[in-house]
Amino acid sequence: MTYVSNSLLILIGVMSLTFCLGVFAAYFVSFYEFPGVNFFKWALILSFAVPAYIYAYSLTAFFENYGSLHSLLSFLFGEQNYNPYIPKFDGLVGAILSMSFSLFGYVYVLTRASFYHQSHNLIEVSKNLGYSARESFLKIILPSARPAIVAGLALVAMECLADFGTVSFFGISTLTTGIYNSWISFDDLNTANQLSFILLIFIFVLFFVENHSRGDAKYHQPSQGFRQIPRIELTKNKGRLVSLFLSILFFLSFLFPFLQMSYWTIKFPKYFEQIDILALNLNTLTLVILASIALIGFSFLINFGNRISKSKLLDQLSLFSISGYAMPGIILAIAFMTFVSWTSDTLETFGIFGIKSVFIGSVLGLIFAYFIRFYSLAFNGIKSSYLKINQSIDESSYLLGYTKFRTFRKIHIPQLKDSIVLIGILIAIEIIKELPMTLILRPFNFDTFATKAHAYASQDLLEGAALPSLFLILWGGLLIFLTSKHILSEK
Amino acid sequence: MKFIVASLLFLSAMLGNVFANEVNVFTSRHYESDIELYKKFTEQTGIKVNVISGEDGALQKRIKEEDKDSKADLYITADAGKLGTFEAEGLFQTGASSNLIKSVVPEQLRTEYWVGIAKRARVIFYDPSRTTPNPNLSYEDLSYPEFKGKIVIRQSNSVYNQSLVASLIENDGLEETKIWVKEFVKNFARPAKGNDRSQILAVAAGEADYAIANTYYIALMLSGEKGSEQEVAARKVKILFPNQKGRGTHMNISGAGILKHAPNKDNAVKLLEFLVTPEAQKHIVNNTFEYPIIDGVEPSPLISQFGLDFKQDLETNVSTFAKRQAEALRIMTEAGWN
Repeated sequence: MTYVSNSLLILIGVMSLTFCLGVFAAYFVSFYEFPGVNFFKWALILSFAVPAYIYAYSLTAFFENYGSLHSLLSFLFGEQNYNPYIPKFDGLVGAILSMSFSLFGYVYVLTRASFYHQSHNLIEVSKNLGYSARESFLKIILPSARPAIVAGLALVAMECLADFGTVSFFGISTLTTGIYNSWISFDDLNTANQLSFILLIFIFVLFFVENHSRGDAKYHQPSQGFRQIPRIELTKNKGRLVSLFLSILFFLSFLFPFLQMSYWTIKFPKYFEQIDILALNLNTLTLVILASIALIGFSFLINFGNRISKSKLLDQLSLFSISGYAMPGIILAIAFMTFVSWTSDTLETFGIFGIKSVFIGSVLGLIFAYFIRFYSLAFNGIKSSYLKINQSIDESSYLLGYTKFRTFRKIHIPQLKDSIVLIGILIAIEIIKELPMTLILRPFNFDTFATKAHAYASQDLLEGAALPSLFLILWGGLLIFLTSKHILSEK
Repeated sequence: MKFIVASLLFLSAMLGNVFANEVNVFTSRHYESDIELYKKFTEQTGIKVNVISGEDGALQKRIKEEDKDSKADLYITADAGKLGTFEAEGLFQTGASSNLIKSVVPEQLRTEYWVGIAKRARVIFYDPSRTTPNPNLSYEDLSYPEFKGKIVIRQSNSVYNQSLVASLIENDGLEETKIWVKEFVKNFARPAKGNDRSQILAVAAGEADYAIANTYYIALMLSGEKGSEQEVAARKVKILFPNQKGRGTHMNISGAGILKHAPNKDNAVKLLEFLVTPEAQKHIVNNTFEYPIIDGVEPSPLISQFGLDFKQDLETNVSTFAKRQAEALRIMTEAGWN
């Protein structure tokens, strides 16, 4: 039962850390004026570009015996054995730190959005009540942002449970690795089923909580009286302190892994020759483009269908179809293979052959798997933007004699253009970071940044993993930078 | 629509490969140097080598699910136990040991289903400036209380450890080994963690006196590929080959087998035969720093400096590892070896 206890420890650790980091960061950038506030506002979401497993590589690289920190200390203070004094961040602690810094962004973004929309009146009320800053934070601000915080934490928790790269790198048995091992390595379906059942309960609870909170989190913007809260100027010292806290957070969540990977890329230039960077870029790009088209296209269709038919059943069905996001990628990939294999065998009795080679070990199969995993991202994204288009617009369009399809083409698509780009980019970031499904389902001679980094990491050459990891971070960072405005304002 | 067209285009591009002169390799040996080796093979024979690398379990699952539609010809992995498991699951076909292979690869290191392509020794590392171990030390001795708090080793989920303990069960019996594991775990300097190299580094850093790890990791560090600091650290450490008075040091193999539904069996045999040629063996020993599987090729100088005339345990048939691994893992976890 170490599986369950490890998963629980990781959940508790990561959720507490992401709660503290995310909520405080959001609180400061939303309500206070201090040096660098506009920079931190978006810089903190760059952490989305660093997947937890690359964070884990960086932690190990830096803190291991004779690692980068040892080199740094030797460089600064002369050769000596500093190893006994260097803390080792591996195992459970390493996993918790890696996941926390790469996931706190969820809590930060959602909480900040909620703070942003918080009515000015609320703050005024607390002032009138004579609350101190601390009291108003604890008694007014925090409770009113609760749904957003809970939704953020639920997302964090789902990602934690789904993680495979980080925990297998640190050798921790969790529910997900337990299911994987008992299913695959030991062919022990009994244990696999039991663990899956526990995992499903976890996921179900989180899924419910997240959906529920998201419902609550609809921002009730008062028709009047809403204006952005003027930020409170902090005293010089307090302002510096807050800046320092956020600088550290920015450093730890983004700069640290980025710098570690850059350092190694420069220190071990031979990997530039060994790794076909162009192919990695092309492969990743292919996957991103195909998956985005499939995901966005289909989500559009379903959302449009829901809108014009207003069928309850369809609504329920689409809710069911989005649960893929809560499923760990590694388990999904294996289930996918098993399913394809079963379907294929069944079809063969009807004389249809070759289904397996079409879906396992092909780009098409990968796209399908991504589709199942990331459909909720696309679906929910389009849905929330669709809700912003008033039904009466559709009705006016029909009155003008537009057909439903024409309404879709001429009215909906132009209005949703911005959010399509945003969702496309969010999908891209997820796919660039995706590891376990790509690893299992890919075709021959096909690598992405993530699989290449993993290949080097598994042969104990993290130095070689640095270059693909760096590219992965850079691409993710660039995409986040381009969409930061949307991520920060819309959600 | 665009999506469908694009995917079809892709699909046809993929399928275009099927009829080429090629061999398809599934490998859990992720070495980049293996890819270079395959390139040499292609240059010599014109046979293209297609590769998918990944974790053993996942690759095994994929091969099983693909079943007769699988395009995989050759499976390569770095543990005899895994090869044995594949054999037991009926995933391999016979014919891996061609006559040429039989003439160069020792009998204990191959079956009809798979062939060793390199040897690996699991040894004890120590820092001679702090410790002077008895040169006749055995794995069995490491359970004695005098080693309390002095040993580092990686986790029980490592197949290298499972195969080591499997070989102990094979030689000393299950009950004996059960007691051994229980006592051995008490001697850990820290909870089992990290990879083999980090065990060696722990000895260099003074965190422990003895580390159990495979030899090639130290060569990797000595080669400078891990940076100058690790090279310096590795120089502090020496190797002790255990069980020299008895059956010899535990040897495992990297090996390969031909999959049951291999569409290019002939090419797979050609690749296997190529892998045990002196040319390929030289490439392997100088890149992955394993021991050669054939006579007449010297290990890398970085490895041979630790001694070449040590006694290797070639009596314990590596094919027994697969049978004992599950038992090994069970007694390790029961003893609290995480």
